[in-house]
Amino acid sequence: MEPILQVENLTKQYTDFKLDHVSFNIPKGTIMGLIGENGAGKSTTINAILDLIQKDDGTVTFWGQELSSNPRQLKENIGVVFDGINFHETLTPAKVGKISAAAYKQWDFDTFNNFMRKFQLPMNKEIKTFSKGMKMKLSIAVALSHYPKLLILDEATSGLDPIMRDDILDIFLEFVQDENHSILMSSHITTDLEKIADYITFIHQGEVLFSKPKDELIYHYGIIRCGTSVFDSIDKSEVLAYRKCDYQWEVLVAEKDTAQRKYKNTVIDNATIDDILLLYVKGEQSDEKFDFKGSV
Amino acid sequence: MKSLILKDLYNISHNAKSMLFMLLVFVIVIIPMYSVEAYIITSGILCSMMVITTFSFDERSDWTKYAMVTPISRKDLVASKFVVLLIFSAFGVVSGLILGFAGGLITKKVVLDLTSIASLLVITVVGMMIAVIFGSISIPLMFKFGAEKARMLSLISFLLPVAVCFVVYQVLVMFGVSFTDSSVFVLLCSSPMIAAIWNFVMYKISYTIFSRKEVLH
Repeated sequence: MEPILQVENLTKQYTDFKLDHVSFNIPKGTIMGLIGENGAGKSTTINAILDLIQKDDGTVTFWGQELSSNPRQLKENIGVVFDGINFHETLTPAKVGKISAAAYKQWDFDTFNNFMRKFQLPMNKEIKTFSKGMKMKLSIAVALSHYPKLLILDEATSGLDPIMRDDILDIFLEFVQDENHSILMSSHITTDLEKIADYITFIHQGEVLFSKPKDELIYHYGIIRCGTSVFDSIDKSEVLAYRKCDYQWEVLVAEKDTAQRKYKNTVIDNATIDDILLLYVKGEQSDEKFDFKGSV
Repeated sequence: MKSLILKDLYNISHNAKSMLFMLLVFVIVIIPMYSVEAYIITSGILCSMMVITTFSFDERSDWTKYAMVTPISRKDLVASKFVVLLIFSAFGVVSGLILGFAGGLITKKVVLDLTSIASLLVITVVGMMIAVIFGSISIPLMFKFGAEKARMLSLISFLLPVAVCFVVYQVLVMFGVSFTDSSVFVLLCSSPMIAAIWNFVMYKISYTIFSRKEVLH
């Protein structure tokens, strides 16, 4: 599938942190979840993609074009939602609509008004009276009212209650019903990504650990929970990461079924994205690990 | 650009009542103590300072980061602040002229004749230029240091032109240059040109600062 967004070897060096050759693609009609612990480099990646920070190396192309080559037209097709509303709190949605209409050629007031009705947001109330969820809905309405083809969401669902998050996730799913639309969504709420993402890119300490289809992670990855004797017998070349818990070892493997056949008397659970994230971040990575930096 | 100007005007309109109140207080304070001319210039400078407040609003809402992901260029963003400064300064001197004229009539500081009105109109234009020059120095400071840090530094933007003018005046006097009515008139007539050149230089400095800046907020 043709990628909407292609990130290749994106590198940014700070004194205490390096975004190190980050690469991934987002195919049309899909949702890419960007996961990683706080400070892993998710926001730095998004900032570099959007040219908010100057990258040291690498290329980022939207529909095959670098953002700097045609910024006005490309940005018309990109909707961005950060964590929170970026309009001053004394503004009303009506004024936000007028400001945005002056910024985007593709702005559609009818679409904006429809979203306002759908989200039950008052047009003439100041933003400061809104709850966090209402502010987020307003940001999403603005992002969707200029007909973007790519949505970039940086922690857009953090701080929202589960019901509000569920409503917003439904909107994102509706958005990608159009096969020309895609979403890049960074979040540390991995359950959200389990619900809607097609692909997961895991960034850890500035590096991409993997970029894979979500189903591969959910259905193929497994966690062996075992005692020390079984742990010692496990072929470490099959192990992605492991950690010692109170009374047992947790071992992450990429092929659950293969491991189940091999270690018949052990418990192998499905791995959630949370489990995978935890094991990579808090556990040890196998020295003999095979190349797991698969890419989409 | 239109979007940015609209945003600043909407944001600042929230402070309109308090600004109007301050202008009225200044009518009572400045006109009886000094003159209508001083009031017009003060109004212009006071309103030009609202550009600093717009930076503060932007910073609080992380607006600049957001603006840079919309089809707004860095050039537009910098230029918009100078346009907004022009609008605020014009608003300041025009309201200064109206309120000052009314206050001057009440306090009998102005008389209702053509010469007085013409003189106030000239002062309005000069006041506008002074406000624009003073206000424009604060813009590169805001881009460089951010609203909160630059708020203190912005005092420089009002003291620096005064200091520069004073030094230039002293140097000219030292070299025996005397200021006749005609030379002052030439200076007043050329003030729009001086303000335009000054603002262009400030715009260039601001853009150079902002074009290299990483927009994280």
